[in-house]
Amino acid sequence: MAKEVMISGCAASAQAAKAAKVEVICSYPIRPYTAVMMELAKLVANGELDAEFIHGEGEHAQLSVVYGASACGARTFTGSSGVGVTYAYEVYSPIAGARLPVQMMIADRTLDPPGDFGSEHTDAFCVRDMGWIMGWAEEPQEAFDNHLINYRVGEDPRIYLPQFVCQDGYFVSHIPGKVVLPDQSQVDEFLPPLKMDHRLDPKKPISHGPQIRPDQGDALELARAMAMNEVPKVAKEAIDDFARIFGRKYSPFVEEYMLDDADLAIFIQGAHAATARAAIQKLRKQGVKIGMAKLRFVRPWPTEAVAEALSKVKAVAVVETQTSYGGATRGGGLMFEVCTSLYDVPKRPLVTSFMAGLGGEVVKVEDFEYMAKHLTKAIQDGKVCKKVHWIGFEPD
Amino acid sequence: MYLIPEHKQVPFAGCTTAPVSEQRMMITGNWRTYRPVINREECNLCLSCVAYCPDACWQLNEAGDEVVWNAEYCKGCLICVNECTHGALSKAHELDFEDGVVRLDKPF
Amino acid sequence: MTTAVQTQELAPIKRIRDMPREEYYVPGHRTCAGCGPALQYKLVAKAAGPNTIFVGPTGCMYVANSSYLCTPYAVPWIHAQITNGGAVASGIEAAYQVLIRKGKWEGKLPNVICMAGDGGSVDIGLQAMSAMMYRGHDSLFICYDNEAYANTGIQTSPTTPYGGATTFTPPGKLIPEGKKTFPKDPPQLVIGGHPAVKYVATASIAYPVDLMNKVRKGLNYKGPTFLHIHAPCPKGWKFPEDQTIEIARLAVQTGMFTIYEWENGEYKYQHRPQQYKPVSEYLKLMGRFAHLQPEHVQKMQAFVDAKLKAPGMPVEIPIPPPRDFEAMDLGEGTGTARH
Repeated sequence: MAKEVMISGCAASAQAAKAAKVEVICSYPIRPYTAVMMELAKLVANGELDAEFIHGEGEHAQLSVVYGASACGARTFTGSSGVGVTYAYEVYSPIAGARLPVQMMIADRTLDPPGDFGSEHTDAFCVRDMGWIMGWAEEPQEAFDNHLINYRVGEDPRIYLPQFVCQDGYFVSHIPGKVVLPDQSQVDEFLPPLKMDHRLDPKKPISHGPQIRPDQGDALELARAMAMNEVPKVAKEAIDDFARIFGRKYSPFVEEYMLDDADLAIFIQGAHAATARAAIQKLRKQGVKIGMAKLRFVRPWPTEAVAEALSKVKAVAVVETQTSYGGATRGGGLMFEVCTSLYDVPKRPLVTSFMAGLGGEVVKVEDFEYMAKHLTKAIQDGKVCKKVHWIGFEPD
Repeated sequence: MYLIPEHKQVPFAGCTTAPVSEQRMMITGNWRTYRPVINREECNLCLSCVAYCPDACWQLNEAGDEVVWNAEYCKGCLICVNECTHGALSKAHELDFEDGVVRLDKPF
Repeated sequence: MTTAVQTQELAPIKRIRDMPREEYYVPGHRTCAGCGPALQYKLVAKAAGPNTIFVGPTGCMYVANSSYLCTPYAVPWIHAQITNGGAVASGIEAAYQVLIRKGKWEGKLPNVICMAGDGGSVDIGLQAMSAMMYRGHDSLFICYDNEAYANTGIQTSPTTPYGGATTFTPPGKLIPEGKKTFPKDPPQLVIGGHPAVKYVATASIAYPVDLMNKVRKGLNYKGPTFLHIHAPCPKGWKFPEDQTIEIARLAVQTGMFTIYEWENGEYKYQHRPQQYKPVSEYLKLMGRFAHLQPEHVQKMQAFVDAKLKAPGMPVEIPIPPPRDFEAMDLGEGTGTARH
């Protein structure tokens, strides 16, 4: 029987892994994602989940353990935050290139230096070019659902790619939200068991990952890029099926909120989208025609969906909750891909970016009002005053 | 959308099928300058050559009465000559033999 | 519904003539002629048999074996990073535990063997090796020791002997011995500190029957086991490629490498020389030691003497001469006698 509970994002992720009947889990503690593993440890110890719970010796080991386990055809689950995510860096490309559908939960966290438990998207953003599927959840229910959807997509024989299922540390990972836990039969209908031909099996020996010559490398990499190209179609199918079975309908790639008649758009991903919604409702009451485009998948980047959503408006505020030091905007990393998506649109909106929520700082309704003010002025002036604003640090 | 030329075809995820009894994509017989030669009169089938060859180029035949040398893969390290317990093995220059120096149809 | 996980039991091999005929490390690999690590791989694979999965961290036994897009492994094999052989092997073992238990794969638990070089075992791979030993995975970790990072062109590793010239420890005016530090002792790193480990052994390619039996014993043991295999490298140690076994033998005869088992807390020795030869007999055969002065050789001898006297290594106790099956003329029992 489906039941409704009030649980945090971490607990939701653990429940999703349990519902997905993961088979090999590898843990290592680091705030704020640790709670997922604590929850899973209890489930395994009580016999509620039949899985191997391996205590990794570090985050690099976590990814290595699930690489080996996934190579045998077991459904795997691991996770981390902050510098733990970056410590494991070496193993991300090997996993993706080996086409192993590993799933990693990231409760994001600001990178050192120094220690900062607050949320920031930079940790996961650092690894977005490694060939994994990646996307953020706004609240615990979406986190739960994203785990199941990502297993379904990543394990599809047309795909076989690993997935980063991300949520904002603390804001989603620790603040409870309403989650409907489905009946197991619904999950079993949505998510078939993992089947992999390219697995390590003494009955059918393969050599997995021999050394190659440089002239053999580009073809392998093209194959990886092509796999990414297949994701949108498979993701759409999965999300339609999800809606049919669970009754919750997600836009596959970009959620458009009050965008159809809008002049201004907030482009955002993750937890702060919830605050953006409240701000948009408030601004609408004041007559400001503003909407939101919420990004659900960073990889593969939904170029057409972004262009379609944002070409409806005249000015866009890209909310950057991560840093790309020295980048084109001297700000964050979302802006580059937004502008690339819009480059060929005949009537491009004005685009600027706002550094918000860095270090785990809260993002307030007033901050979105500030963004709206600047977008309105930009439309009046016919140009943006600058490419990046650092909220809370500007003279005005 | 993209055309992968014949010579660039690569296996899925870099996974190749395992060899069964030899790996023909890495024939190494053309490495050697010397080859081991066996005097069957002296051989007592101690099988040291079979044990000590890093390339498994000495094998006991089906009948179990002769050790057989693999000309296609032997690198000519001559460990077997050194380790033969009965002096049945000696070395000879590869070019002394008509079938000397395994030639490949194409490089690699 | 859960299925009990069963394991194989591999029988001991009496002598070379009894070793299995099947090869699971087949001809056709790009290792150097006379490669010690290649030989031990062949012997390990032969002893382990077909129900085996190898993990290959980066090193000579990865790059040289698998160049290019082809390998000599007739059993399943997967590449691992040089950093994480132990972790990848752990994941494979865990996967098979749960897959068998859930009835998704039928058969006895495959042998899971991590085949790591000295660097991948006790340097950059130390953390992962130790964790695999600690967590109790039913598996075997093999450190094939060619005493250097050979694949990258011979650089020093923690098992490079004192005085061993490598491209990172070249002898020079300021450092006449080349390498100043004494090596780590891989089996000693494992013994005593990992409660789940009940069996640790050393072996050498000079004694193939002993090596294969230790592989089987290690695999038969429930839980993690560790093998340290001495595998001379003609290119790295600078000796003629037909001398590989001779060098390995001399290492044992001089005490530079000791062959033993540690089993449930007790030491047992194999192939112990009645009389140890001086280390100079060994050092003089290799170009990597050609620069050593008498005082360096003395330091080396002192180190070996001390190691042989260490706890658990009684040197004085008289031991019976070893029954050397390899050297014996065995005409009986095979039906193919020539006399």
